[in-house]
Amino acid sequence: MKRILSDVINSGKMYMRSTVGTFFTLVFPVLLILLFGAIFSNIGSQSISLKVQNLDDGPYSQMLTAILNETGIVNLREIPQPEDIIEYINDESLSVALFIPANFSENIMAMQTNSSLSLPVTLILYGDFTSSSFTTARTALDAASSIMNYNLSGAHQMIFVQSASAVPSESFQFMDFFLPGIIGLTIMTTTLFGMTSMCAEYRSRGYFKLLATTTLSKSEWLVSRFLIYTIILLVSILITVAVGVFVFDMSATLTPLVLAFLAIGVLLFAGIGMLLGTVIRDPETGVAIANAIGFPMMFLSGSFFEIASFPPYMQTVAQFLPLTYLNDGLRDTMIYGNTESALGNMAVMIVIAVIFFVLASKLMSWKEK
Amino acid sequence: MSGNSNGYAVEVERLAKHYPPDIRAVDDISFEIKRGIVFSMLGPNGAGKTTTVEILEGLRSPTSGKVSVMGENILKSCSKIRKKVGILPQDFEPFDLLKPVEAVTYWANLFSIDISRKEVNRRIGEVNLTDRKNVMAKKLSGGEKRKLGIAMALVNDPELLFLDEPTTGLDPKARRDIWRLIEDVGRRGSTVLLTTHYLDEAEKLSDDVAIMHKGKIIAQGTPEDLVAEYGKSTVIVLVGAGRKGLDEVRAFGVQATELDGDVLISCKTRAEMRSCFEKLASLEAPIRDIYTKRETLEDVFLNLIGQKMENGVLQE
Repeated sequence: MKRILSDVINSGKMYMRSTVGTFFTLVFPVLLILLFGAIFSNIGSQSISLKVQNLDDGPYSQMLTAILNETGIVNLREIPQPEDIIEYINDESLSVALFIPANFSENIMAMQTNSSLSLPVTLILYGDFTSSSFTTARTALDAASSIMNYNLSGAHQMIFVQSASAVPSESFQFMDFFLPGIIGLTIMTTTLFGMTSMCAEYRSRGYFKLLATTTLSKSEWLVSRFLIYTIILLVSILITVAVGVFVFDMSATLTPLVLAFLAIGVLLFAGIGMLLGTVIRDPETGVAIANAIGFPMMFLSGSFFEIASFPPYMQTVAQFLPLTYLNDGLRDTMIYGNTESALGNMAVMIVIAVIFFVLASKLMSWKEK
Repeated sequence: MSGNSNGYAVEVERLAKHYPPDIRAVDDISFEIKRGIVFSMLGPNGAGKTTTVEILEGLRSPTSGKVSVMGENILKSCSKIRKKVGILPQDFEPFDLLKPVEAVTYWANLFSIDISRKEVNRRIGEVNLTDRKNVMAKKLSGGEKRKLGIAMALVNDPELLFLDEPTTGLDPKARRDIWRLIEDVGRRGSTVLLTTHYLDEAEKLSDDVAIMHKGKIIAQGTPEDLVAEYGKSTVIVLVGAGRKGLDEVRAFGVQATELDGDVLISCKTRAEMRSCFEKLASLEAPIRDIYTKRETLEDVFLNLIGQKMENGVLQE
């Protein structure tokens, strides 16, 4: 026990003194939370800017713009009348702009006085169909034109659509969903990259050989690595969650299962890292391969975005990535409070962790051949 | 092979280490090291010194043969042996981000030894690192790193200390500092097994020397015995005589070799030496100086291997 404790303390000191280790474990997750929080925490409350060229000086174009303003989705800006709207869009690199023709009010009034008339009352929404701003503007315009149609035709709206939260028991925001992803990501990067480079460095610099000259056994060293990563990552999780809660008012919960996921995640990714660091003899190649595995896994395992939003083939790929089960499990316990589902994800992780860790421990040797 | 009570720290019998397809890194060697002496394994790079020592340290498995360290079979009682030996591996590198005080404490704890700060300071003082004890290891010089390695290797007061090329790559002052430390350890009664390719180091420090070449021990004994057995007594050195001088000397019917522009004539007896000097009186080749020297391990090595060694590499 004394040997393990001493190794934990001294290896912990070395870890904290290495700027790369400290950055990726303690600073990087906080930076991610702050960055993504700044981008996504106010999603839904921001309006988009919509440029409008209004050639109509009648009352109905004013009514339309007033209704659009009231939606709160768009913030109207005027395009001067002499400008050619197409040129203006190109010059200003606009993704969306609204054109109200000169006869807009006149035609509406004509149809009101003579109901048998069928005159063109057309609004044109110019822009890039693939941009999210265009879609938002289109939604606002559809809503405003519907309201005008009801009012002008004297009809009554009979069906209403109401939005309601689908997240059980509490209301959650994007950042709550994002937080477990960052925790999963940090567990993966710290242990996978850490163990790969550590094993490679220990072998190339003769540290394994040096440790083999003491009475510290390989199994004691493995226990020590497990404890170091678990402790350091626990600190990282507490800091990350604290930033999320105090800065962005997140409501994700730290449960005892989070600690279990942390421990099993450390075991799993340390096992993979150890395997890479052991099997691949060249340290630089080992680290490069860890990066090649780790970086795509970050994105494909739903650390930043929901897997459900991925194309079907990528969703299939995600099912084969261990980080998917860590992210899902953490969300189950931290957001949805779904212990049963969390334990299911944990069971998958335990199986993968045991396979990799046992295999890596068997293959790793401190002795020379 | 006997038990604990005999006078040998190391007993090796027919030890071999082979690598496929047909590399014989260690080729059927046998030797013993008496307790309390400094024993050197001397040889060029690739001679099999480190492989042999790593087998004795339990860091490498032998292909065949018997190895006993401090009376214990290395294959069966490695963990027991660990407590009794200290090891400074070849190309030792300390942990960069630990200070010497931390490294020595850490190492003591890895042997389950409780060590006080005072004791740590004493051990660091022994290797003359007191002024550098709180400096991060990555900032230590090459010599200071080796000194720290020796302090770590001594932390369990080992009965047997393995030092695998402890002075390779160090400047002369750092080498002399390490030599002094090795002498101190020897004086305390510990056995030291030193591998080196520095002939002067082996000659200065060792009670016993084994010369290894191509996986075999080709000579073993005290430096004095080796010089007596394999040396040629006295050498006449004709400084700067060069190739012309060598040809002239050989024309006199005298055996001689050329080394770095000097001509060397080995004489086994006084009569032989007198005869040589008489012949050299008519030498026409220009020489800068002439002197005689007693043979050293360097000459023994040259006589045995037929090649000179510099920094572990045999010279053509």
